[in-house]
This record gives sequence, structure tokens and C-alpha cells, in this order.
Amino acid sequence: MNRENEDIIQLQDVWTTYEGADLPVIKDVSLRIKPGEFVIIGGPNGAGKTTLLETIAGLLPIVSGSVQVCGHDVVREGCAARKKIGYVIQSFDFHPFTPFTVEEVVLMGRFGKIGWLKRHTRHDMEKVSAAISKLGLTLMQKNQIGKLSGGQQQKVLIAQNIAKEPEVLLLDEPFSNLDIITREEVSRLLCQIADAGIPVLIVSHAFDALPDRDIRVVVMQNGKITLNKLSPPSEVGNLVRSASVAA
Amino acid sequence: MLEFLIPNNVLCHAVEAMAFASLGCALLSVLITQMNIASIGFTMSHAAFAGGAVGSFFGYALIPSAVFVSILTAFLMGPLSDRTRMHTDTTLGVLFGTMMAVAIFFIALMQGTGKGFDASSLLYGNVISLYREEIYALALITLVIILFLIACYKEITAIVFHKRLAEIAGIKVKPVYYGILFLISIMVALSIPIVGGLLLYVWLVTPAAIAYQFCGTIRSMFIVAPVVAIIVSVIGAVWGILYSLPVGPLTAVLFSGLFIGAVAISPKRKVTFHKH
Repeated sequence: MNRENEDIIQLQDVWTTYEGADLPVIKDVSLRIKPGEFVIIGGPNGAGKTTLLETIAGLLPIVSGSVQVCGHDVVREGCAARKKIGYVIQSFDFHPFTPFTVEEVVLMGRFGKIGWLKRHTRHDMEKVSAAISKLGLTLMQKNQIGKLSGGQQQKVLIAQNIAKEPEVLLLDEPFSNLDIITREEVSRLLCQIADAGIPVLIVSHAFDALPDRDIRVVVMQNGKITLNKLSPPSEVGNLVRSASVAA
Repeated sequence: MLEFLIPNNVLCHAVEAMAFASLGCALLSVLITQMNIASIGFTMSHAAFAGGAVGSFFGYALIPSAVFVSILTAFLMGPLSDRTRMHTDTTLGVLFGTMMAVAIFFIALMQGTGKGFDASSLLYGNVISLYREEIYALALITLVIILFLIACYKEITAIVFHKRLAEIAGIKVKPVYYGILFLISIMVALSIPIVGGLLLYVWLVTPAAIAYQFCGTIRSMFIVAPVVAIIVSVIGAVWGILYSLPVGPLTAVLFSGLFIGAVAISPKRKVTFHKH
């Protein structure tokens, strides 16, 4: 069987809610993503974009339906699934004196893979150094993470997830703190990751640094997917805007 | 254990007890300060206080009852803070109030029935009247803490850094987090007879607070905090016993003085700039 045609992410009729909430946030969503796809998830604030990523990562209770990532059911095998999922979160706020260096934080991405009662190896450190280098953080790898700017901290979290060598990469607003040059660099890096066969799903409102390749555009509105189609990068912004308005 | 170094039996026991208590508490203080759960100190102290009061009411010995209820509370701590869906510090605050209420309730009942309750050993501790078994228990729990930290170092540091990111990395956060809370609770329960519930807070927070003034990484905090705590605690024990001063309060004052000094010379407060 050709693995390129297998769906690496499968959501089937999924309803998700937050604990204590009366209403579901994700409503009857079905989505299939193949290896190497570059996906932009758009839509207005509160549409359920972040919730969709958290659902795929198995971080939220699923009321109904099923979510499979890399062959794992994220409800029953959440920990095993998350070892294969890279997820760059949207909001973070590290105290200036947080006692962790950039290198230590990036290494944490590999902890799940290293496993219980085991120490990191030279191989792990090589992956960490490579990820740090790709994000241009080499000169500050011994600096405390809290001393970096918001954009640099965001790059550290991206490096953490690249060092993890995930089979699926989810990013929530990865460009929000980055300048335009860095956006383009990160976008190229994400494109290389997708070219290597790893699906990249990005929640974003910034469409000015998209890679030059076909992009799957998923637009969400009120917890539902209202658009799901392949598009050239130049059309992504218009598609997201028109689908959001039409819905 | 240290009789070959310190022939005076009372002093030897005191030094051993203070060394083990300060080593265990200082290692945990790094986690307590970085996870912002400092309330665990007074919550567990009051659990011991409540245990002592309930035990005395039913005719049991004070210290074993206190330790028993503290251990019971330790088992509840992790699952309860998880179920309430609140910040751990808030759950600890609720438990603290409950334990205080239980203690006061049983003390009031005892006053009504004419029974006495001397809580001074729980509140202030007494390092010179410890049994050898109590020192062995302290040594054992300190060893368990060291082994736990070594075995789960990467999981613990990831959770201390960011619980959500640790979960995303594929770490089983719950068992490690419960383990941390449980070990803190047991250490508090066993240290109360030495320094007392009122002063134990100093051992659970100050060593890491001093180390934090000079350390940029959590690894260095895990080294500096215990070294500082052992030195200060042993000096406090020796000084207190040789000059008939109360050991617990004296050591607590030494810790506080050192903390003030550390803040004064901390490189974290320095402002430097290079024009070129």
C-alpha cells in the first residue's frame, strides 16, 4: 500500500467541548489530512481553530466521534499519539528569570520519545543543536528563555517541536510575534518539513509569508468547517476572507 | 550514624536530623518555589496539627497521629487538586482551612471533657528529643526523594517548566505530579517533630529562594539549595545546642539573614551595559 495516500490525521463526526462548558465548541467535524499536506486553518476569532488543534492533539474531551493520528486513537492512546505530534501553542509567558536555557527547553521536546528512566543521548543533543541552528538561535542557546523577546521565545518553541521529529506538526499562530523576514524563514522551514512528508497544520491570520506550493485551506465558523479545499498560496487570504463572510 | 565524628549523642542526633531534614526539604523547595505551591507547607503543617488533636482526643500518641493524618492528606492532595479543576494553591488553601477547623473542633471538644492538649511539640518541634527511628525515617524519605529526582529528572523539570508543554511532549504528567505532591507531604510530616509546623515553611521555601538569587538553571538550584540548607541547618543545630538556644527558631533566623544577604548581592539585580 502506498503510505502517501493514507490519511495520517482522521477526524470523523467529532464533537468537542471544554470541561464545564454547556455547548460543544467543535460540532460534527470530519477532516482527513494526508502526509506532506500544508494546511492553513482560518476563520474569525472564536470559530474553534485552536480547539480543533487541541482536539487533534488529544488534549480535550471528545464528546462524540473519533480522532486518529498516526494510527493512534487520541482519546485512548493520547500519550502515545502526542509523542508523534508536534504542537506549538499560541500563548506563553515565561518569567524573565525562568531557570531554563533555550537548549534545555528545546531538549524537552524529545523527552516523550526518550522514555521513562532514560537519559538523553548524543543523538538527542545533535537533533537539538540542528533545530536550534535551523531557527537561528545558536548564539542564544545558553541564554535563559525568559530573557528572550516574544518572537525569539516563539522560535524556541518551534525549535522544540522540530527537535521532536514529529510525524504531524500543529502550529497555533506561529507568525504572530515574528517580523516579516523571520516569517518567511519559518515559512520556508515549515515547507521543507511538509516536503519531507510531515503534514503541517497552521492556525493563522497572517497570509503574507506562505510557501510557494498548494495549500489546503480549512475555514472554520461557529465550530464547523465551512470550507476545505486546495488553493495556490496567492488565493489563501481571499478564500479565508470570503468563506468567513459567507458563513 | 555520625557518632564517629560527634561523640556528644544529643548533638549528633540533632545534626543528623537537621542534615537529613534540610537536604530533603531543600531539594523539594526548588520544586515548591518553581511550581508556586508554597501553601503546601502550611497545609501539611495544619494537617499534622489536626491529626495530633484528633489522636489526642481518642487517646493516641500525638506525633504518630499527626504523621498518620499528614500521610492521609498526602494521598488526597494530588487527585483532589486535579478533580477540583482549580489552581493547586487554591485547593491547598481549602485543605488548610479544613484541617485548621478539624483541629480547633477537637481541641474545643477536649476542653469540654477536661482533656489536655499540648501542641507545642507540633508547633515548635524539638530536635533534641528525637528517637533514632525518626532519624532513620528522615534518612529513608530523603533517599527516596533523591532517587525520585534522579529517575524522573527530565519529566520533573518539564512539568516545572510548563505542565501543558510537558503533556504535549508525550510525558505522563499526572503520576509524576502526584509523586511530587506526595513526597512533599511525607517530608513535611516527618520534619514537623524537628523544627515544628510553624517554622517548617522556612525550610521549604528559603533554600530555593537563596539559590534562585545566584542560579540561572534549575540544575544548579538543585545543587546550591541543599548545600546552603545543610550548612545553615548544621550550624544552627550546633550553635543552638552548645549555647542552649532554641535550635529551630535560631536556624530559621539564620536562613532569613542569609536570604537578605543573598538578595542584596544577587547578580540578578545588577544592571550592566557595554557600549561596545
